[in-house]
Amino acid sequence: MLIYVLRRLVQSFIVLLIVMLFIFTLPYFEPNGILAPAYIVLGTHATPQTIHLWGVQNGMFHPFFVRFWNYLLQVFVHFNLGHSYKQNMSVWGIISLYVPRTIWLALSSLLLTVFIALPLGVYQASRRNSTFDYTATSVAFILYGVPSFLLGILVLQFFSFGWPHLPASPPGGVSPWAMFTDPAGFILPVLTLTLLSIAFLSRFMRSAVLEVLVQDYVRTAKGKGCSQSRVLFRHALRNALGPIVIILGLYIPQLLGGAVVIESVFNYSGLGIQTVNAAATLDIPTVLGITLLVAILTLFGNFLADIMLGVVNPRVRIERSGQ
Amino acid sequence: MSQSNEPSSAAVIDTNANETNLSEQIVPMWRQRLRIFTHNKLAIASLLFIVALVLFCYLGPVLYHTNQTDQAAALNVAWNAPPSLHHLLGTDSSGFDVLGRIMYGGEYSLSLGILAGIITIIVGTIYGMISGFLGGIVDTVMMRILDAFLSIPILFLLITLIAIFQRSTVFLILIIGTTLWFGNARIIRGDALLIKKLEYSQAATAMGGSKWHIIKRHVFPNSMSNIVTVATFSVADAILFLSTLGFLGLGIPAPQTDWGTMMQNGATQQPNGYWWEIYPTAVVFVLLIVAITYVGEALRDAFEVRLLER
Repeated sequence: MLIYVLRRLVQSFIVLLIVMLFIFTLPYFEPNGILAPAYIVLGTHATPQTIHLWGVQNGMFHPFFVRFWNYLLQVFVHFNLGHSYKQNMSVWGIISLYVPRTIWLALSSLLLTVFIALPLGVYQASRRNSTFDYTATSVAFILYGVPSFLLGILVLQFFSFGWPHLPASPPGGVSPWAMFTDPAGFILPVLTLTLLSIAFLSRFMRSAVLEVLVQDYVRTAKGKGCSQSRVLFRHALRNALGPIVIILGLYIPQLLGGAVVIESVFNYSGLGIQTVNAAATLDIPTVLGITLLVAILTLFGNFLADIMLGVVNPRVRIERSGQ
Repeated sequence: MSQSNEPSSAAVIDTNANETNLSEQIVPMWRQRLRIFTHNKLAIASLLFIVALVLFCYLGPVLYHTNQTDQAAALNVAWNAPPSLHHLLGTDSSGFDVLGRIMYGGEYSLSLGILAGIITIIVGTIYGMISGFLGGIVDTVMMRILDAFLSIPILFLLITLIAIFQRSTVFLILIIGTTLWFGNARIIRGDALLIKKLEYSQAATAMGGSKWHIIKRHVFPNSMSNIVTVATFSVADAILFLSTLGFLGLGIPAPQTDWGTMMQNGATQQPNGYWWEIYPTAVVFVLLIVAITYVGEALRDAFEVRLLER
């Protein structure tokens, strides 16, 4: 098991390096080259001299590999993500301000999704082809076709401008604990993100349970007289959880990508809006820092999903210790 | 995927028609698949809807003339006018006719979505085939690179790429096409891995077939079903991502438009009660995505070997 964990860690580190190399190389393809941010930072009155000076100050004229090596040293040895080109803040400052806000949004909707989508999928599978199953499936299908921003707009229209007057946007500012001090503002964004995730997950859960329900051990469980709920929740659910755990691990980047849109619909200053702004102004250190963070989160999520797979499925555990 | 020994289609037909002459009874594979597809009424309805929508977007402007590109001329028209006989779905905040705008924006959404979807499937297929077929160290390296791409949210990547390159139509197609193929590559690779291990590929290898020959004659044709299905979903995804970019203000620049940009403009007018600027577009858009997804699901069923005996 330890060897397995170590191997996964090394693999994840290599994947991180590839991510960094990729994002680091992208600005070289800009028509103005890596000096392009200078035009944005210095504004319209920039002269060739000031732009050159900016390039010298930011070490832009070193060869590509020297720059990449310096960046790696800076990140992994000095634990410094650098300084934003556009905002007068360190990248870590930006991240530490906005990450908690996005994490609360994503985490709360993820928890709600798991608590709603899993039982929903199990119930749908157990009442297969019933009216409820058809209704839930078609609702999920339509929700799947609605882009996240449109769902946000519709939710705003019906729950904020309509009769139940809920706040249209969460409290402003950068307080990380806003979700607990003023929860009313968070109902709509979390609801929207949750609806989107449920549409995504409940379909997988339904088909995973359906696949398990035809297995021999489920028939055996029924045959030895287990109650319906015991069969569903003790035998079927546990075995269906395997693929779901993996999908949840892979869902993290999608969830954070969804948060970008939800944040801009509900005007919630979080990591998503920061990323959009940083990318639009070619603030490469910020984009790199945030992408690195998201990649680490994703890899950690996949790693956790793998460990969880061993927890929910003893067969996987034995397979791994046997290798 | 297929742990059990699935009966081949020939064997199924064999049991159905054991007395009569076999050669008369064999139904071609594609016709069986077509039959499964046409059994699915909703899929046929979806397909008809897609065809109707394409005709509406591309032939509609011929019948329903509207000004969609001249911003100066649009200034002389009443803005945000409610639906009337003159403007069947009213006008938007720039004075463009909304019904004509849906056709005009649809042309961009549809063509960009389809072209970007085709790029994703071509790149994904080539990458997945090479990775899955060659295996070994090449596969490991290529899959780690894919892992790296998959751990970045696609929207972040799209926004960064659009900031770096231009927002023109061609670049949007290329950018969306080159960022959405990662998932496809993974699916096609799984297919290639599976087919490589099957008896007919091994037989071809044993007879001295080159790797290129086996990819061309065995792996590629046999994963065609998956490629077509994945391509359908890719088109839906590409249209969705294009609309999301449009909503974030990074879509096709004005006066050209796409449905995402239109919905964004409509959303800013919607609190004023100008429902015609967003809801018609939204309904058409959602129906299109649902229809494409449904056709994709039906195609998947049609290609499913286990359903052939039905």
